[in-house]
Amino acid sequence: MNVVLHALRCIGFADLSRVADAAGVSGARAESELIDLAVDGLVTREMGAWGLTEAGRAEDARQTAAELDSADGRAAVGSAYERFMVLNPELLDLCSAWQLRTIDGVTAANDHRDPTYDRKVLDLFGELDRRAQPVCAELAGTLPRFGRYRERLGAALGRARAGALEELADSMTSYHVVWFQLHEDLLVTLGRPRT
Amino acid sequence: MTVIALGPGVDEPADVIGGKAHGLVTLMRLGLPVPPGFVVGTAVCRAFLRDGRLPDGLEEELDAAVEALGGGPVSVRSGAVVSMPGMMNTLLDVSGPVAGAVREIFSSWNTQRAVTYRELHGIAHNLGTAVVVQRMVFGERGGSGVAFSRDPSNGEKTLYGDVLLGQRGDAVVDGRSSTLPLTALEPGLRAELADALTRAERHYRDACHVEFTFESGRLWLLQVRPGGLTAPAAVRVAVDLADEGLITRREAVARITPRHLRAAAVPRMLGGDIVARGRGASPGVATGRIALTADHAVSMPGPVILVRPVTSPHDLHGMAAATGIVTSRGGLASHAAVVARSLGKPAVVDATSVDDRLLPAGTMVTIDGTSGEVALGRAGLSTAITNGHVHRLLQWADDLSGDHSPRPAEERLAAAYPNQRER
Repeated sequence: MNVVLHALRCIGFADLSRVADAAGVSGARAESELIDLAVDGLVTREMGAWGLTEAGRAEDARQTAAELDSADGRAAVGSAYERFMVLNPELLDLCSAWQLRTIDGVTAANDHRDPTYDRKVLDLFGELDRRAQPVCAELAGTLPRFGRYRERLGAALGRARAGALEELADSMTSYHVVWFQLHEDLLVTLGRPRT
Repeated sequence: MTVIALGPGVDEPADVIGGKAHGLVTLMRLGLPVPPGFVVGTAVCRAFLRDGRLPDGLEEELDAAVEALGGGPVSVRSGAVVSMPGMMNTLLDVSGPVAGAVREIFSSWNTQRAVTYRELHGIAHNLGTAVVVQRMVFGERGGSGVAFSRDPSNGEKTLYGDVLLGQRGDAVVDGRSSTLPLTALEPGLRAELADALTRAERHYRDACHVEFTFESGRLWLLQVRPGGLTAPAAVRVAVDLADEGLITRREAVARITPRHLRAAAVPRMLGGDIVARGRGASPGVATGRIALTADHAVSMPGPVILVRPVTSPHDLHGMAAATGIVTSRGGLASHAAVVARSLGKPAVVDATSVDDRLLPAGTMVTIDGTSGEVALGRAGLSTAITNGHVHRLLQWADDLSGDHSPRPAEERLAAAYPNQRER
């Protein structure tokens, strides 16, 4: 299982630092790995960012399926996915509530000038995160690479709590983007299409 | 009495029988066609959530009420006093005892997602939901849809809506199938719908929309709600309703808040040849050529509208490169909607083509992330500056305050109601 290749499969087109962060390896190691993968025709680099080739996608699917089979993890990951999918619409509701507010029937961008409202949404994010932790732990218990999501989600929430408002739903390192990648990873790991 | 038959004589407030049943009773009083049914009040839900079981004798009461409807299949829907769209369950085509379905809907009041939704929207957790049980009407034998008394995008007084032929109402709400405009209905049904909405408007003194099903040519109304308009539409409807004498000018001014004016000032698309409709998920207008993959969105020269069924992380770079985003599935709270807002890009989700028109890659389109419309070519922009309805409303506000001096719109509105905090 090549963690750098798989990280790229789950995050899409990305620069080196994002690939390294998602894979949980140093920038130097990620770069060296990516260069080897490029030599094998599995990844490409365009306009300063790395992306998967069709061959890379197929190779990752093969490796991911082999990893799942050798861990005998299909049932456990399937059950964690079901639990994830219960949390997913609620997380998307929270992201939407962070970005938009409806007052007097008018929906407009949340201007973040109401600290009481922002605090409430942030607290609800924390509450959902608390319920997401056992799902991540269950996944990591079967496939340790899933442990990286726990760290990245926790870090994004920590940055938001420290005042970086864009780290919940509005940046490429936000809680939502990490969650979106976890969603993708679950689909890839189980070989299911996105619906 | 815990089970109440729906009828024009029911005189219970919405907090007892829920908003949906209250609206259905109103429709019945207006002489409009509503499938026969009954409602289990919110007090029963509260008792169920407290005790973990239905009150003694309720199952027998439910059995008798279903029997009174003829004993055939029924629909079982939630109906809280405050609308919580998509949060609670609906069960269609239930045959036999309905107690299980009632329990399921009561329980759905306390799913974690519903609890979070109430926290976000300041809705009390102890209200509970009512359950409406009605004789099942089959859209499969006709069609079903949603109809508005005025266009919810711009407020124009015209029968507006979507219909799915040969399908149930839940398919419209889920957006699983492509819908048709109401002109696809036969003229008799369309006239009946228009008449129903006119009556509902007179009652609510506001624009209204209904969910409907027609079965073997016969129209049935399943829900009515006032409002549900975008901000520019709300301004136009307030002015038009005053002109029509349904409300006073003072009421029209009172219905519009500075928030409406600010939202109405967001540029909007000027009509045009509408080729697809969805839901506006991120406001603003964007024009560009259609790209069907993220890679094409990056590589195509000039402004691009990225059109995808759903989005995955592999679309993120395409979304970043695009000037606007359209998805054919997903809702207002989908990954695509969240990412589009984070990038500040106009987005339309849940879009279906009008009359099955296919738009190949490279086609120039304009999208409106407020109304959810997609038009062919470069549609122009409108702004509140050119909006005659805003001008007239503010003129009325000046008449109320007695101050006709030139000043910003929000101040003119606020001066008409000096004792109110910013609403």
